Amino acid sequence: MTIPQMAKELKDKTAICGIGLTIGSFPDKTPLSLAVDAYQKALDDAGLKRGDVDGIIQLAYGSDYDRFLEAVGTDVRYANQGWTHGRFIAPMLQQAAMVVASGMAKAVAVVHGRKGRQFGQLADHEMWRQGLGPHGESPAYGAFSPALGVALAVQRYFHMYGGSNADLAPIAVAFRKHARLNPMAVRTDPMSTEDYLKSRWIVEPLRLFDCCQNNDGGACIIVTSAERARDLKTTPVYISGMQGVHAGPQFHNLTLPGLGVAQQKVYKYTPQKEDLYAYQMAGITQKDVDALITYDAFSPLVLFGLERFGFCGPGEAKDFIKNGRIELGGELPVNTSGGLLSEGHVVGWNLFIEAVNQLRHNAGARQVKDAEIIQYGSFLGESIIFRR
Amino acid sequence: MKPSTAMTQEGTGRYLPVIYPEELTFWEGCKKRQLWLQRCSGCNHIRFPIGPACPECFDMNFTWEQLSGEGVIHNYVVYHKAWTPWLQAKVPYAVIQVELKEGPRLTTNLLDCPLDQIKIGDSVVADYEDITDEITLIQFRRTSDAHK
Repeated sequence: MTIPQMAKELKDKTAICGIGLTIGSFPDKTPLSLAVDAYQKALDDAGLKRGDVDGIIQLAYGSDYDRFLEAVGTDVRYANQGWTHGRFIAPMLQQAAMVVASGMAKAVAVVHGRKGRQFGQLADHEMWRQGLGPHGESPAYGAFSPALGVALAVQRYFHMYGGSNADLAPIAVAFRKHARLNPMAVRTDPMSTEDYLKSRWIVEPLRLFDCCQNNDGGACIIVTSAERARDLKTTPVYISGMQGVHAGPQFHNLTLPGLGVAQQKVYKYTPQKEDLYAYQMAGITQKDVDALITYDAFSPLVLFGLERFGFCGPGEAKDFIKNGRIELGGELPVNTSGGLLSEGHVVGWNLFIEAVNQLRHNAGARQVKDAEIIQYGSFLGESIIFRR
Repeated sequence: MKPSTAMTQEGTGRYLPVIYPEELTFWEGCKKRQLWLQRCSGCNHIRFPIGPACPECFDMNFTWEQLSGEGVIHNYVVYHKAWTPWLQAKVPYAVIQVELKEGPRLTTNLLDCPLDQIKIGDSVVADYEDITDEITLIQFRRTSDAHK
C-alpha cells in the first residue's frame, strides 16, 4: 500500500500537548462539571489559556458541545460531536490531528465527562435497531449489554481454537497488577488467578472480572501542531501514524473478522498489509512498539487486539498472554495503567492519557523503561501510533 | 398486523421487539408459526437482517419465502445476570445464534434444554412463543427434544 504524500506530511506534525483526567465516584457532580474540570486540568498541564483552544470535539452522553462551550465561556471555530462508543475515541483523536493539520483550528480539545450510573440511558434505545443492537443486542430474547457481543465472540474463539474461560485469567490479573502501581486507578485490591476464577458469571463464558469498571470521570486531551507543542510546558507526544475503525458485515461489533458472530464468515483471520496501514504511515513495525494500549472493556478484546495487529497468529493470543508477557517488564506490556478493567472507564479516553504519560516518562512505578513508541490498537482495527 | 414501537409489555415489563414496517411479513409469519425471510431476485441469496437490498449483489428486488425452520446451533452464551426484573425468574438462560439450513443466522433462545447440554453443531428446529396478542417470537428447540 502506498503512503500518500499528504499522509507523509501529517506524520509527526501534530502532537498532544495537554492532558487532564479524573476517575472515581463523584456523586455530586454532573457530566458537565467533570468535563470542565478535566479541561481545566489539561489547559494547566499544557500551559495554555482557554482562549488558545479554538476547536472542540465531544461525544454524546456527556455534556453536549454547545453547553460545554457556554459553560467555559469560549467560542471556537471548529466543533464536532460524535456517537459515544469506545470504538469512536480513536477516530475523534485522529480528527483532532487532521483539523490541526488542515489549519481549521490551532488547538483542538477532545473533552468528555461521564457518570457511570447515567451512562446508557440513551444508548438503551440502540438495542432495538433493526437486526441487532450495536453490541449484538436483541432485547426480546433477553440479549442485553455490551457483554453479549464479546461473550458470543470469545465463545466462537474457544470453539475454533480450543480453550475456555480460564484462559482469560492472565489478562484481568495482569491489568490489576498494573493498576496497583497507578494512583489514579479505581481498583487496586489484589487479584489472583483464584480470585478471578471465583468471580461470578455475568454472561458465560464471561465472569465479572472480565468486565470493565463503571465509574464517573472526566478526560481531556489537547492536540496542537508539533511545532507549537515544542514551545509548551510538556514533552510533546507526536501522532505518527493512524488508521480507522474497520466496519461492515465481516466486522460486526465486538469481535474479530472470521469468528462467525452474527453473519460473519468463518475463517482464521490474519492481518494483511492493507490492514496495518498505521505502521506503514509511521514507518515502524510491531517490533518497534514498546507498549500496546488496547480497548479492554472486556478481557477477550485484548486477545482480539493482539491478533488484529499481528502480534501473534490466529488463535495464538490465548497463549501469548501467559507467563507475564503482557505485564510490565514483559516482552509486550499491555494497558500499563490497568486499563478499563482496573484503572477505570472514561469512555476509553484514559487509555490515550496513559500512552501520553508513558511517553513523557511520567508514569512513576509503572513506567515502561525508555518508552519511545506506544501503539493504541484495537480489535476493530482503529489505531494511533504515538512517539516521543 | 401493524408496526409497533412499544419497548416493554405493560404489566410484566417484558421487553418486546420493535416491529418495523418492512418486517411485517416476517412477524405475520411468526404468528402463523412459519419462518419467512427475503430471497434476492438477482442472486437468490436469502438474507437476514431484513433489509432493503441484497448485501451480496446489491439488487433491490426480492420475494418473501417460507423457510424450513431447520438449522444448527452456531453459537451460544448463558446469561447469569438478570438485566431486568422480568428476567430474574428466567436466569440462567441461553441466547443462541442459529445457522439456518438456508444460510442466515438468527439470534434467539434455546427452549427447554439443560444448559450444560448445549452444543455447537447440534440440530435445532423453530418453535414459536406468543408473547402478546399481536407478537409471536421465533424460538428454537433441539431437534432431538422436538421429536420426543
